[in-house]
Amino acid sequence: MKLGVILSEAVRTEETYDRLQAEKLSVVLAGNGIYHAVSKKNGKASEVLSKKADFYVLTEDLESRGFTAGDLVDSKIKPIGFDGLVDLIMDQHDKFIWL
Amino acid sequence: MGKLTIGVFSSLVGGTTLDFSIRLAKAAKDKGHDVYVWTSGNGTMLSKTGQRAFKDYSYLAKICEELAAKGVEFVACEACAEARGYHKEDTFSVFKRHSMDWYLAKCCQSDKILHIGGE
Amino acid sequence: MARKLKQLYLVQRPPIKSENPKLAYTHAMASQTAEIYLEDGEEVIPTLAMVGDGVYNVVNNQQLMKHYGLNSNENHVQMALLIDLKVLVCKEDLEARGISADRLADGSALGADMTIEVVPFSEIQKEMEATDQILCF
Repeated sequence: MKLGVILSEAVRTEETYDRLQAEKLSVVLAGNGIYHAVSKKNGKASEVLSKKADFYVLTEDLESRGFTAGDLVDSKIKPIGFDGLVDLIMDQHDKFIWL
Repeated sequence: MGKLTIGVFSSLVGGTTLDFSIRLAKAAKDKGHDVYVWTSGNGTMLSKTGQRAFKDYSYLAKICEELAAKGVEFVACEACAEARGYHKEDTFSVFKRHSMDWYLAKCCQSDKILHIGGE
Repeated sequence: MARKLKQLYLVQRPPIKSENPKLAYTHAMASQTAEIYLEDGEEVIPTLAMVGDGVYNVVNNQQLMKHYGLNSNENHVQMALLIDLKVLVCKEDLEARGISADRLADGSALGADMTIEVVPFSEIQKEMEATDQILCF
């Protein structure tokens, strides 16, 4: 399946994300989920980014929290706006979930 | 163009998840998709009439009116609203109220859904 | 176009503090009356799956009515079974929390034929792939 995930929490309480498997997986970091894209705790990037997936971060939520694309800890994370998110949901994945 | 149903269960006040939902609805509508918004749980706060704009709280009434004028359909869970004291006469004009089966039916008739849980 | 829609309700949180798990049950059960909004040939077929702390929703002997005057999610799962909804519970997550199979809700007292199915997560993964839509609660 082609699965998209919007990860919205900085402190995760669910165990679902770690278990997700999909032939094509995209992860959109939105809301407080953007902290996974900009933080390095004790020099280490978030475990969230270790998943085999395409990563995106919602520009509006990144900038709302005082960060920019220049703060992203990994070049594999692509900034997108709502316009791009609509295309990911409507055209590029079978299913999209919110965690 | 497709049909997108967004189910959102989060509060109007206390976070920006409802803002996210409405901005996504706008972006999808602007691209020509048909969009349906279902609010349930604390999300029904958006269906309450008389919301006032303050700079410290999310205010989505105006954008909802604009989207409704473009054809976005807004529906609140009747039971969730009633449980919170939001009665029919308290309902914001762009909202209809239905039971949860409306949401399931709309999911069935949509190409894609995004279900956003609440707090 | 007639469509038989399969939905998976993935319940990840324990009952009570969040309204979400209860809303998973009430929304899934609304499939029974969705036909008033559906066209001929359309149908919504929900499956409920408890994962992570969501497995606490199906522990039996919940006394929420006694102490708070509220329906428990045990009541809701019994009703879901009564109307023949499939309810899956993740085996690994039950074991990790020390919950044995005899502690799970049972719908038979209400006359339900269906029972909760304890399955490995791999089975829930298969449901995620086979379903048309996934709703996380």
